[in-house]
Amino acid sequence: MTPSAPRNTRLLWLALPGVGVLTAFFLAPLAVVFIEAGKGDAIARLFAGREFWDALVASLWLGARAAALSLVVGIGVAAHLARVSPRLRAALQVLIALPLTFSGLIVAYGFILLLGRAGFITLLLEKVGADPAAIAGAFYGPVGLIFAYSYYLIPRVVLMLLPVFLNFDPRQMQAAESLGAPRWRAWFEIVLPQVAPTFLAAFCLVAAVAVGAYGTALALVGTQLNILPLRLYALISDVGADFPLASAVSVLLLAVCSMIMAVAEIAAARAEDVNVRS
Amino acid sequence: MSIAISGLTFRYPGGAGVFGIDLDVAPGAFCAVIGPSGCGKTTLLQLIAGFLRPETGRIALSGVDVADVAPKDRNVGVVFQNYALFPHMTALENVAYPLKLRGVSAAERRERAGQALESARLSALADRRPNQLSGGQQQRVALARALVFRPRALLLDEPLSALDAAHRAAMRDEIRAVQREHGIATLHVTHDQEEALSIADVVAVMDAGRLLQLAPPRELYDRPVNRFVAGFVGHANLFDAKVAKGALETPVGPMRTLDPLPEDGATVTVLLRPEALEPIVEAHVREGVAAADGALVLMGAVTRDRFLGSLRRFDLAVAGGTILGETSSQAPILGVRVPPGAVRVLPPEA
Repeated sequence: MTPSAPRNTRLLWLALPGVGVLTAFFLAPLAVVFIEAGKGDAIARLFAGREFWDALVASLWLGARAAALSLVVGIGVAAHLARVSPRLRAALQVLIALPLTFSGLIVAYGFILLLGRAGFITLLLEKVGADPAAIAGAFYGPVGLIFAYSYYLIPRVVLMLLPVFLNFDPRQMQAAESLGAPRWRAWFEIVLPQVAPTFLAAFCLVAAVAVGAYGTALALVGTQLNILPLRLYALISDVGADFPLASAVSVLLLAVCSMIMAVAEIAAARAEDVNVRS
Repeated sequence: MSIAISGLTFRYPGGAGVFGIDLDVAPGAFCAVIGPSGCGKTTLLQLIAGFLRPETGRIALSGVDVADVAPKDRNVGVVFQNYALFPHMTALENVAYPLKLRGVSAAERRERAGQALESARLSALADRRPNQLSGGQQQRVALARALVFRPRALLLDEPLSALDAAHRAAMRDEIRAVQREHGIATLHVTHDQEEALSIADVVAVMDAGRLLQLAPPRELYDRPVNRFVAGFVGHANLFDAKVAKGALETPVGPMRTLDPLPEDGATVTVLLRPEALEPIVEAHVREGVAAADGALVLMGAVTRDRFLGSLRRFDLAVAGGTILGETSSQAPILGVRVPPGAVRVLPPEA
């Protein structure tokens, strides 16, 4: 049965505000950025020096490390959550999802209060003989960023992985054991192949977020660190604002994040293919 | 290839479990374990497979005590209720997996797993993933996987409960045929008493963690050890009765029996199987129903009449109670005769 034509038209009207917002705040700016990037020699300048290549590599390396740390912690948390009672799980999930509601700036401020030069933990560590300058030095750099990013990437990982752990049928482990598999082999040959695509999808998703994040980075390390989002910030805020070059950086950043997300999507589709039962 | 269990006890923290189970399954025999949910039948299976550790008692497979043997080394084939096939492997890979674990070469693995699938009539589906197979096909893959490594015993955990009624009967026969072919001692856990009676050489009835009776299906049906078994296996009329002057006084009237009776004054349980009662139709009344050979005649009104195809099962309201009867006749039923041969006296309960 096809819905009558007037009804169809009415439904289209309902979609209009969404289309308007999408056009005004996503499609139009995107088009402007692409047009701006194409002006003059912006793209040529972008690829001319080593500076931007270094920023790209540093961004990817930072994103990969933050994502790896988040994944390792997230796997543990999700695996544990899957074992506790549903009530406790619901309560813990609320707690775990809380960091997602904080802005990156607040997270950075919190971390400064904890691990900055006069931070709470820094001072505690000083009492047991650690050098506060060394701690703060490491903290106001990539290491601090990795920790700060993980703070809101871990909840994302947990939320993505929890269904996988919840849906995994423990009888598969029993079946593997009854067929003669030692516990470690059952993990590697039965569990891992089924969960790996989702692990990869989670890794890529949070890596893409980390590569593109800038609020926390700006608050924590200023523009000292040569990563793409901070490069971009410098190009639009400094006295010598260079919009065509900023647009070119934007396009590059967009392309990189899109590619990482594409890997995540493919991995997620594969995970679905394995796990869906008819 | 036998299963021998003695004095097996396991307690869950809540107090449930299995208590003092003695159960022997001879080489090549098929034993069905039945009982209501929570009676401990699945716990028993988990103990044999080694997923649970018994508190006390002994489990021997083919004469080897497996108390301290890990599940992976017990060499027991298990088919789970939901089959527990590995979704990321094809049917062939699933069946070949236990061989891979035993270090069988890739070529031989393919060959043996392929043969196993062929005898399960699944060769054409060897490269399909479990989610591309029907319930019955998954079941056959699971069975092939559980037998391909020539285990010492086969454990089936309600393997038919996920199938629809039409496939269940066919699969039942197929499981039995495959089991005979392998000559393997098999323990089949089910809550379906009809399935158990039709498939097994011996049936174990459990309730509240205890084994109530272990007997061939016929004996279990004809000579249940107590009220619970009589009621759980097949349909039953059960009455409390008092022994008086060589007869049984029941709420519906005095009955005679061919079974030996305890002394006068003893209280016993009387079992009447519905098909052993003789329905009285109009023709009988016209000819005059005789209470010959000591039969009790109960006249009454049918309150429920269930059409079951070749059979008709009816409730007959009589003075003092309700009688469940069965007949293939479609004529109106006016009453039943209870011949002494139909009256079973259950042993007194401890």
